[in-house]
Amino acid sequence: MIELQHINKTYTRPTGEAVHALIDVSLRIQRGEFLAIAGASGSGKSTLMHIFGLLDSPDGGHYLLDGEDVSGLSVKQQARLRNRKVGFVFQSFHLLPRTSALENVELPLLYSDRGSTRGLGRKALEAVHLSDRIHHRPSELSGGQQQRVAIARALINEPDLLLADEPTGNLDRQSASEVMALFQALNKAGRTIVVVTHDSEVAAHCGRIARIEDGRIVSDQPVPQPKNLMEAAQ
Amino acid sequence: MSPIRIVKHSVRTMARFKLRTGFMMLGSMVGVAALTFVLSAGRAAERKTIETVSRMFGDSAILIEDGGGHFAGGPRGQGSRLKLDDLDAIARELPNVESWDPQQGLPGGSVRHGDVTERARVMGESERSEHVWGRKASRGEYFDAAAVKAADRVAVVGETVVRTLFKGEDPLGAEIRIGSVPFRVIGVLEPWGTDPHGMDRDNEVLVPITTLMRRVTNVDTIASAKLLLRNSNDAERTSTEIRRILRARHALAANEPDDFTIITPAEVRGMVAQVQKVLFLYLPLVAGVALVVGALVSAILMLVSVNARTGEIGLRRAVGAGIGDIRLQFLVESAATTIAGGALGIALGYAAARAAASRMHLGEVELITTLLFGIAASTAVGLLAGTIPAMRAARLHPVDALR
Repeated sequence: MIELQHINKTYTRPTGEAVHALIDVSLRIQRGEFLAIAGASGSGKSTLMHIFGLLDSPDGGHYLLDGEDVSGLSVKQQARLRNRKVGFVFQSFHLLPRTSALENVELPLLYSDRGSTRGLGRKALEAVHLSDRIHHRPSELSGGQQQRVAIARALINEPDLLLADEPTGNLDRQSASEVMALFQALNKAGRTIVVVTHDSEVAAHCGRIARIEDGRIVSDQPVPQPKNLMEAAQ
Repeated sequence: MSPIRIVKHSVRTMARFKLRTGFMMLGSMVGVAALTFVLSAGRAAERKTIETVSRMFGDSAILIEDGGGHFAGGPRGQGSRLKLDDLDAIARELPNVESWDPQQGLPGGSVRHGDVTERARVMGESERSEHVWGRKASRGEYFDAAAVKAADRVAVVGETVVRTLFKGEDPLGAEIRIGSVPFRVIGVLEPWGTDPHGMDRDNEVLVPITTLMRRVTNVDTIASAKLLLRNSNDAERTSTEIRRILRARHALAANEPDDFTIITPAEVRGMVAQVQKVLFLYLPLVAGVALVVGALVSAILMLVSVNARTGEIGLRRAVGAGIGDIRLQFLVESAATTIAGGALGIALGYAAARAAASRMHLGEVELITTLLFGIAASTAVGLLAGTIPAMRAARLHPVDALR
């Protein structure tokens, strides 16, 4: 369902130096997969995620989303597609301060052309077990809870693809486990998830790991036995 | 992606940043208030000036002042030379002079009644001043030609004098002392208000000019005279004639400057134009600076806000906001804030203009003018403060913004 074909991306540093962030990257992700893109910082994994998330366009190659080539879309078309098909989870949560959990979750609806959106925010918060924190502001929530609000926000438009960039990077072990367990539960329910991480512990929870080094995919293998946090939690 | 939802959302967002919103509103409020105040009070002042000037000069009067100095408080020449005979001669020689009234004053003279002493403007005038200055006695009567000829010790007083000196007592027939000279009050002047210099023209005591010159000030010259013309179109020619007559009578050599000043209707119009220039050019310019500073403060706060909210902008882009959505949001945020501040500024400027107008007796301030100026000014501030930050926010690349 998602396919990258020979993607290239080159940046120019302010110094004029060219950086080849992605070199001939090809990757195919099936619906319902739980993929980890693992690599050190500077390996190109964030650039890859930006291209997956339609935040950036490749210089060369093709990106097929749902069979449709989206590599040449306009900025406006990209934004509409992001709203409908992609949910983002960031390391630093990116919740709006002084704004309730519910309003944070409902933010993508502001830019959506869906008709009825009533009750969606509450439902999304229920799905991340935060029904009792609806009117709390981010400053009144723990890190783990904040990240769960962010996940609810990413899910509110029922995206085809959930993209998480170092989702546990700012969390303690306990909260990190909770978040990874939540991802596993969502994946089990059929959600396609891509997690970008440098942490092999996090990657070990996913169904497949693609390793990236210096802009190239160096290995792409399924995880024989992903760590199952849902069972551990029970 | 309904713009209305984004507008609503932006307004809600502003309410969450109370301090910044407050300061932005303050910036816009001060600027708009300053401009509204200056323009509204200015319009009232202009109306008042024109009204007062036309009451004082009409459009067919010439004013002659003793001394070659300037009108209105300018330096007076050393030797006062202007005499009643000069004016008699002018009136005799120039048929265009319909009537004239000489003036000599004792500014800030002390006036006593019983054991109360007050300062008042004591003016010596002729019986014709009632007609020439168009100010009658509302009670009692004006002194007549016989009283002026005989230098009678009679006085006509203004309403302020009645209030301060007589404390409500009937002034008619009462005795007042100007310096040590006793006068009998025979009339009360109809109210006049303040003149363009802010002087209370009701705090006046009018006495026959002959009495003032002989018994109080002991001079044989007059300070000024107002001449009513039959034909105002001939004012310039009449003025030239007056000059010729006075120079001849004062035996001024060709190289000597005038020892008098003639103010013609054209000069009065020039003065009014000067006042209008101050009211509608210089003062608004100063207030405009306040407005620009207010707009800059708002713009800078908005820019700081955009910089501080880079992550938020990135996030909004990530969840589907287009460039236009971001631009709209920040434009609405600054516009809503500055226009709200502007509305307060209009209220403040209007209240201040009303207060000033009532203090300076300028009469009514037009609300509609105030509103128009205020709305235009707030919109200008909003656009000034909002455009650049909104463009900057919209230009951010989502990837950079999320970093």
